[in-house]
Amino acid sequence: MSASQSAVRSRAEAVKVSRTFDWLILFTLFFVVLGGYHIHYMLTGGDWDFWTDWKDRRLWVTVAPIVSITFPAAVQAVLWWRYRLPFGAVVCILGLLLGEWINRYMNFWGWTYFPVNFCFPSNLMPGAIVLDVVLMLTNSMTVTAVIGGMAWGLLFYPGNWPVMAPLHVPVEYNGMMMTLADLQGYHYVRTGTPEYIRMVEKGTLRTFGKDVAPVSAFFSAFVSILIYFLWHFFGKWFGGTSFTQSS
Amino acid sequence: MKLIKDKVAKLSFVALLVTVTAAMFYAPTASAHGEKSQAAFMRMRTIHWFDLNWSKDTVPVNDTMTISGKFHVFAGWPETVDLPEISFLNIGIPGPVFIRQGSWIGGQLVPRSVSLELGETYEFKVLLKARRPGDWHVHTMMNVKGGGPIIGPGKWVTVTGTMGSFVNPVTTLLGDTINLETYNLGNTYFWHAFWYALGLAWLGYWARKPIFVPRHLAVEAGKADSLITAGDKKVALGFAVATIGIVAFGMSSTNAAYPVTTPLQAGLLRGMKPIELPARTVNVKVEDATYRVPGRAMQMTLTITNNGDSAVRLGEFNTAGVRFLDPKVHVDETGYPDDLLAEEGLTVSDNSPIAPGTSRTVQVTASDAAWEVYRLADLIYDPDSRFAGLLFFFDEAGGRQMVMVDAPLIPSFI
Repeated sequence: MSASQSAVRSRAEAVKVSRTFDWLILFTLFFVVLGGYHIHYMLTGGDWDFWTDWKDRRLWVTVAPIVSITFPAAVQAVLWWRYRLPFGAVVCILGLLLGEWINRYMNFWGWTYFPVNFCFPSNLMPGAIVLDVVLMLTNSMTVTAVIGGMAWGLLFYPGNWPVMAPLHVPVEYNGMMMTLADLQGYHYVRTGTPEYIRMVEKGTLRTFGKDVAPVSAFFSAFVSILIYFLWHFFGKWFGGTSFTQSS
Repeated sequence: MKLIKDKVAKLSFVALLVTVTAAMFYAPTASAHGEKSQAAFMRMRTIHWFDLNWSKDTVPVNDTMTISGKFHVFAGWPETVDLPEISFLNIGIPGPVFIRQGSWIGGQLVPRSVSLELGETYEFKVLLKARRPGDWHVHTMMNVKGGGPIIGPGKWVTVTGTMGSFVNPVTTLLGDTINLETYNLGNTYFWHAFWYALGLAWLGYWARKPIFVPRHLAVEAGKADSLITAGDKKVALGFAVATIGIVAFGMSSTNAAYPVTTPLQAGLLRGMKPIELPARTVNVKVEDATYRVPGRAMQMTLTITNNGDSAVRLGEFNTAGVRFLDPKVHVDETGYPDDLLAEEGLTVSDNSPIAPGTSRTVQVTASDAAWEVYRLADLIYDPDSRFAGLLFFFDEAGGRQMVMVDAPLIPSFI
């Protein structure tokens, strides 16, 4: 067979090859995203995602969506503009959560014996589904950034509340009031994570009384919009071929 | 086609072999804490732990033990380490092999960070409940913001039993008693599995049709809009509505199930109560101090003045948790870790009782392999080559006085 001849001899064989490529690329994409996104999220979200006694109503709500909308925005840019595929955000979160669960179960629990109910990851799936759907229905980066980015930030806290609420039940402990999550942090000793490095309930957002979470979520949603634009452009640039042509 | 499949199969097999081989390498349990690697000046010139007591050497799972004692916050705290204005009384163990049921400084529970004063001495206690079987090196530890963990002496403690039998019952303010070890686990798994399944369903919806090659060709041909059908849009809308609906339902049903929740608690505890030590009647002036590298010995020339009403003798020099004793004056009966105890490591040129109102200049030698084993000799390579430690004097009635010493240390290589 010469180089100019086709590798396939029939339409059926072409379809078969195409599907094989689909699975190979999807498999590779999934694990590349899993690795890159996981490292990114651990470095930027880190302890806020590791421990229940960091998941507060102020900084966790603010930080986690902002640092996590990055890869979904970039992968969406590649999959949508190149293939019209609206699962960029979901595939990112599927990869991230799989990686995180493997890490939490194998390392945090299996290796160092922190209970899983203390070190489970945050749930980012509701925002990812809405982000993908908005891009698909609007076919617009701007609308996706504004509506989808806003939804990404706003859905984060309520999407996690069913798992977190039971850990915010108060307990009286030797004359002090703590939540069960605080008690987990105190009981399960972390030599490298002293109490003072927890960044919980810090800041100047005091004028809204106890209703801090919605305000934090709106702020997070606003910044998520900006980060979405930035990383969507990264994705577009990375998904292009101009840099290979110029070389 | 077959060629590609064969190559993928071969590569997968190689990857599997590499993974299994890597996993088969011997990986010993990390059961100590690198305490010997911490800069010597950090251990000698920050927190001085003494009168330590580990209540048990062997603890069954679910049983408790305490570590108690005192620590002195060195007044000559090194400039290179942030002051202990925000500190946390921790415990140095390899992960949660014990749970910390309580920790107290000066009788006050300290689940939060505390502010410590230089030059003060505090009493502390940590209550631990055994969780994971094994032999564990259990250290005292103080984390200092801007300074890092300052690890104290450690002792091997054996935990017996099985981890599966460990329970951690806690009664909430609503009156429910839960096992914190497994509490909320089923709920966590359920919600994560549910959302993951929904995400997979969304991916599966698109992956059931050709994904990359034909779609890319269509986009390149300007037919991108034809790739999204009206049916696709309806399905997508369904996913979005369902997602928002489930989030709203989850939020409201959770609020109904847990009507009383409080925010995470955090803060700094100030005003820790130090020990009120009796007025010191023994004064010590360090005339000079040298560390003789070949002999693994530190020599000090001290001028000791006894202003009290009872004769005193020097019985112990304690630095970085290593205790050098003069057995003629003081013998340890607390079961202090052997590797940190030089029972005959302290020699005083004239250790006869120093009578009240008199002064004496003596040569004091603290020698033991611990200087090398605990890498305290590395002090001479530190940026601020000074030593510090606690001297303990004993009077005829068995009373004890603690005197802090701090001076430059000159190494001697011959």
